[in-house]
Amino acid sequence: MLVFRSEDHVDRWLAGRPRGAIISIAKVAELAEAWWWDRLDPSWQPHTREQNQAILDRLGLTGEFWRLG
Amino acid sequence: MTPEDVATRNATYRRFVELGRAPTADEVAFATGEGSEAVRDAWRRLHDAHALVLDDGGRILMANPFSAVETPFKVEADGRTWYGNCGWDAFGIGAALHTDSTIGTTCPDCTEPIELEVRDYRPTDPNAVFHVLVPARDWWSDIGFT
Repeated sequence: MLVFRSEDHVDRWLAGRPRGAIISIAKVAELAEAWWWDRLDPSWQPHTREQNQAILDRLGLTGEFWRLG
Repeated sequence: MTPEDVATRNATYRRFVELGRAPTADEVAFATGEGSEAVRDAWRRLHDAHALVLDDGGRILMANPFSAVETPFKVEADGRTWYGNCGWDAFGIGAALHTDSTIGTTCPDCTEPIELEVRDYRPTDPNAVFHVLVPARDWWSDIGFT
């Protein structure tokens, strides 16, 4: 999960390998806030797969690539 | 994950932030009153449950989003320097600490530095992009690679 200067830089780095998913840095920030917000909560409890999938879905990260195992 | 394991996990994270680095099993044991061996056993179960990641020696390697070792994702937040395990985790450090942050990394293609200011959980410069190579179903198959 890497940060690039632009999509052109991603493609050059991939050098013909298939792309994974490219998302905006703003979307990553939204995802991080939703995913990690409670990580230091003293009463933290594990997220279920369904809870994590709901975060991805809510942020529009849908489709087979974003389907958790 | 038992309630006792979750309590050990929460104590481990708390000590990580207090120390500004990964705690040892002894340091967590001192905080919780457990024995060090009990902490190490709990860490192993937490590792298997993907709640943290141990290195081959049984030490904390990742307490996601925090990395125990230096990585290409340096984060300044809350008056300290931290390291994220990946670009997503780098944003996660400010989110977990509930504070602004500055992320420093380099473009893997051209090696130019990229500095991202994060204010109120949003980057001030939206030009960079994020590439996820591994599909979500395989993230934990090799978390180091992911």
